[in-house]
Amino acid sequence: MRIIPFPGRDDVGPDENWLSELETALSGTGEGARADSWRELRDDVRALAPPMAPEFERELEERIGERGARSASKQSHRRLGWLRPPPRLGAAASIAAIGVVIAAVVIAGPWRAGTGPIEAPLHQPAASSNAGRAESSNPGVSAPKGAVHAAKGASAESVAPVFSGAASNAPASSGVAAPPGRVQQLAASITLAATPNDVQETADRVSRLAVSDGGFVQSSHVQVQQTGTSEANLDLSLPSAKLSAALASLGQLAPVRAESQSLQDITNTYDAARQRLADATAERQALLRALAKATTEGQIDSLHERISQNRGAIAQARSSLQAVSQHASTAEVEVTVLGDAHTASEGLTLHRGLHDAGRVLVMALVVLLIAAAILLPLALLIVALVTARRMWRTYQRERVLDTR
Amino acid sequence: MSRPVPSSDEHAPRAITAAAEPGALDAEAFAALFRECGADVHGYAISLLGDRSAAEDVTALAFERLYRSRTRLDHRRGTPRAWLFAIARNAALDELRRRRRQPRYELEDELSADRDHGEALEDVERRATVRDALAGLPLREREVVLLKFHGQLSNSELARALQISESNAGTRLHRALTRLREHCLQIDRQEVA
Repeated sequence: MRIIPFPGRDDVGPDENWLSELETALSGTGEGARADSWRELRDDVRALAPPMAPEFERELEERIGERGARSASKQSHRRLGWLRPPPRLGAAASIAAIGVVIAAVVIAGPWRAGTGPIEAPLHQPAASSNAGRAESSNPGVSAPKGAVHAAKGASAESVAPVFSGAASNAPASSGVAAPPGRVQQLAASITLAATPNDVQETADRVSRLAVSDGGFVQSSHVQVQQTGTSEANLDLSLPSAKLSAALASLGQLAPVRAESQSLQDITNTYDAARQRLADATAERQALLRALAKATTEGQIDSLHERISQNRGAIAQARSSLQAVSQHASTAEVEVTVLGDAHTASEGLTLHRGLHDAGRVLVMALVVLLIAAAILLPLALLIVALVTARRMWRTYQRERVLDTR
Repeated sequence: MSRPVPSSDEHAPRAITAAAEPGALDAEAFAALFRECGADVHGYAISLLGDRSAAEDVTALAFERLYRSRTRLDHRRGTPRAWLFAIARNAALDELRRRRRQPRYELEDELSADRDHGEALEDVERRATVRDALAGLPLREREVVLLKFHGQLSNSELARALQISESNAGTRLHRALTRLREHCLQIDRQEVA
């Protein structure tokens, strides 16, 4: 036998020359006995493999041809239109849809009710805070700020509450229907935006409006600064029946930054005052009857004294009832005029639009951040799983080579 | 001692024409790739598995997978041929893992015997020596030799198919060929003795 002259070196690592010699020889460009030996070895190794069975080769070629025809058909379909979007576009569309859903949930979520940055109706939260403020400064029912009397029926003595027509106003102003026979007080606060130079003018217009509506200004404080924020605070007392109309008129004076209304039931207070007046009046009638029947000087003097005391009680009871009636018939309105440049600018359409656009952008950013916070860990997890699966398969494949 | 290079067209080094084609693998290029590499993939598979039906399965599977992933084909990362052989290698190893048995060289013996007719006795003896030497290699080294010679891959492509570094692939190839040489010499000496 003969020894096949394989080129090679000792069993050490290959160097560049060895590898390049092998490459050159196998590519057919190398010449010489060593290159021939490499090629001979390669050809011998390749010759060991039996050729493909003709039937299999023909069958596989046919299948490949069919695949090619099908692929060409699909391509022509795509050329015809855009009915089938590419998979990447589909994935992008899915991600966008998820983002939109998340945005909708975030924006329209129940936890955002009343606190929306743009469309937030300021009535309810502000109303409750206003009511709370009123109660904290005037605890109990002794200091109602206004009232709506719903068809109370009989009035006590000469003190007749002037609440007619107010009942129909209550639902419109407060959003809560006043039940018949109830006495309710109303209060409101409104914040208007104006330029610093217009604060005084706006405050004057508010005062005139209060007077024209049958009310008056209880107190006012106007602070105008050349630099910084100017502000005017006015406490108005308006007929309860005209509260809604007055608020609407105030809203036309300047852009409204905030508005709130509150309602409190003072029926018990009213009833108590009326009862005290009725009792005092009845006692007076009794005393007068007793005086008519008195015979002795001592009885007469005593009854005169008691009638005198009773007169004071009646006056006090009437006064209380009038006070409650006053509260029921008038609504106290707190008007704040903010003379801030930024605040005033919000009244302009363009600036308001830019402001809203900015908030929308901020909201979109928040939505994107939330989406990223959800999707990023998910994507990382998927990538980790896919990588682990791939590594495991590679390991299993390599292990096959070691076990044989 | 050395012999002239066989002039057989079947085993002559082939130009990897598909490598130069940019873009995705269209139907025509895919058919051309099959005509160019089909026999080589089959030869690699049957040499590694020693089973004709399994080799046919692996060949079909390799082309099927290449077809499915043709849109992801990145020509900067290798030729379609290299890609195809990487897929074929994975499919062959999966097949080995499923079967869990030694390759059957008996079948190859029979087929080789059929083709030995008409060849020079010296060629027949030399190939028998190479076959025995190859069979004596550990599977990991035999696989590198088969991938290199059947796939006609460059060292970088070989490294990519083996999923190892280029220097590591060079070392592994060198070690396998050195051992193949040693086995051949050993067989020759035994036959001389």
